[in-house]
Amino acid sequence: MKKLYHVMIVAVLASLVLSACGAASTPAPKDLMEAVKQRGYILVSTDPNYEPQSFLNTEGSRPSETKCPADALTTAEMQGFDVDVAKAVGDSLGVETCFATPAWEVITAGNWADKWDVSVGSMTVTTARQQILDFSVPYYYTPAVVAVRADSGLTDLAGLEGQALCVGSATTYDQWLNHDMEGLGLPASSIYAEAPNVTVVPLETDQECAQAINSGREDFIGYVTSETVVDANIAAGFPVVKLGSPVFSEDLAAAFDKSSSLPTDSLRAEVDKLFTDMHSDGRLSELSMKWFELDLTQDPN
Amino acid sequence: MIRFHAFPYPAFKADHMSTDSTTAPVSKPVLSQAELLYEAQQRQTRNFRRNVSLSWGILLLILLYLFSGQSFLGIRTIRLDFEFIRENIGFIAEGIPQTLLVSFLSITLATFLALLAALGRLSTIPPLYALSTFYVSLIRGTPLYLQIFFFFLALPQLGIILSGLFAGVIALGLNYGAYMSEIFRAGLASVGKGQREAAIALGMTPWQTMKRIVLPQALRFAIPPIGNDFIAMTKDSALVSATGFVHEVMWRATRVGRAQFHNLEALIIAALFYWMMTIILSYVQGIIEARLARGDR
Repeated sequence: MKKLYHVMIVAVLASLVLSACGAASTPAPKDLMEAVKQRGYILVSTDPNYEPQSFLNTEGSRPSETKCPADALTTAEMQGFDVDVAKAVGDSLGVETCFATPAWEVITAGNWADKWDVSVGSMTVTTARQQILDFSVPYYYTPAVVAVRADSGLTDLAGLEGQALCVGSATTYDQWLNHDMEGLGLPASSIYAEAPNVTVVPLETDQECAQAINSGREDFIGYVTSETVVDANIAAGFPVVKLGSPVFSEDLAAAFDKSSSLPTDSLRAEVDKLFTDMHSDGRLSELSMKWFELDLTQDPN
Repeated sequence: MIRFHAFPYPAFKADHMSTDSTTAPVSKPVLSQAELLYEAQQRQTRNFRRNVSLSWGILLLILLYLFSGQSFLGIRTIRLDFEFIRENIGFIAEGIPQTLLVSFLSITLATFLALLAALGRLSTIPPLYALSTFYVSLIRGTPLYLQIFFFFLALPQLGIILSGLFAGVIALGLNYGAYMSEIFRAGLASVGKGQREAAIALGMTPWQTMKRIVLPQALRFAIPPIGNDFIAMTKDSALVSATGFVHEVMWRATRVGRAQFHNLEALIIAALFYWMMTIILSYVQGIIEARLARGDR
């Protein structure tokens, strides 16, 4: 009889494992575009850590009639340049736009397991990322700059030799500082300066770099990020200055998962067409002026 | 907490008064030595409690002053942007139900797993014993932060796509289950051997013995530590925000903090909410503990 309850324990464990595996999937549509239209919403991933690209609208509340899944945010709860571009994608497909908010490293790592459909999150097109992700045509371009403490007295990149610089981990700025030109994979014409030999301090996002300097920490002399982020930092009263001109320029595009269980080709073609149209009819320039107060949508090369 | 039992004194008082009242004048109640002692003890308890509350108040005021941004006699304090706090406190507070939901689901799973693991640990069947010890060893030997990412990133490859919430709940549940199995094991071991023997003598099966005799007594020992772990879990649930899909207190605090360059203010708001939650939960746990202790003199 003692065996009976051991058997029961095993049965309970086994049923737990089986029930976890047994989640049945509904019959699949032929590609991602069809799937999106069938369910009536497109799930876009974006990282709400960046103002003005993508950040939370703390005043907005979730509309009651939304189709978005419970752990996704609606257009009312998000705001920014990327958010507006994502909305345009949803609108052109005639579906609601919803936002998934995974950590940045989780987005750039690929293998999304169909948890979201597309990333519209100011992602730089790099060769390393092209191994695992498919990119649309670029929707805007940002210059990368080095920002240093205002009291550092530095005037050029050469002065940085031997110093410590901070970057957001797994960003293109991280690759540039680590001389990973292959991984960065930008055309030679987009790279304006060679990275100085510095100690790289990677933090979770580049926002931590800026705040560390603002709070008076002296672990590093400056940080590398996009010019838009540095402008926002300076506008917020941070004691930093841009060091010279941009060091490289990035093409930022929407990304699709190569390992998606449904083909993404038709959706990608649709997004390409939309971005091309929005470039030519000035809608992208308008959004750029609205959020950055300058037009970042012209190809610098 | 210091607490004095009123127990022997009232009886003593009644006896004394009845014999005294016949001889002594009634103008002033005469207090016996025992009553005086009892009152002195009560006064001491009251004074102690009052002084503790007073000191708490002073410590709170000092803490508040430390964040006032004022400078007094050359002692600098931390300056916060109260405008930012006012604007975002409501938004961060909306994460509290999510935090409690994650903690509640996780502690339920953890309790269940802990009980199974404890039974396995006490089992004489080698595979069950091995399964239990293997689970506890593996989970206790790896960081919780890593486990949360593991369930989020690895399971999709097996075709199991969990939402961020459930990946987090499974990771937290498995993790706490491993630690809590020790609590259950201690609880089960605390039930005397004689109890089991008596149950068998009455003709109960091992399952009946477990269900009717051992578990009810073991659970009484296990519930206070479970409450303790629940309180710890409300704080560890912050790690679930790492995957980005659970919009609980920590997630909200880091996102608004980063985007608006006010991590410090945002984290202080979150700290305040976690602290308040643990104060309330500790209070509730105190009540439950007092209740369970009632039958145990």
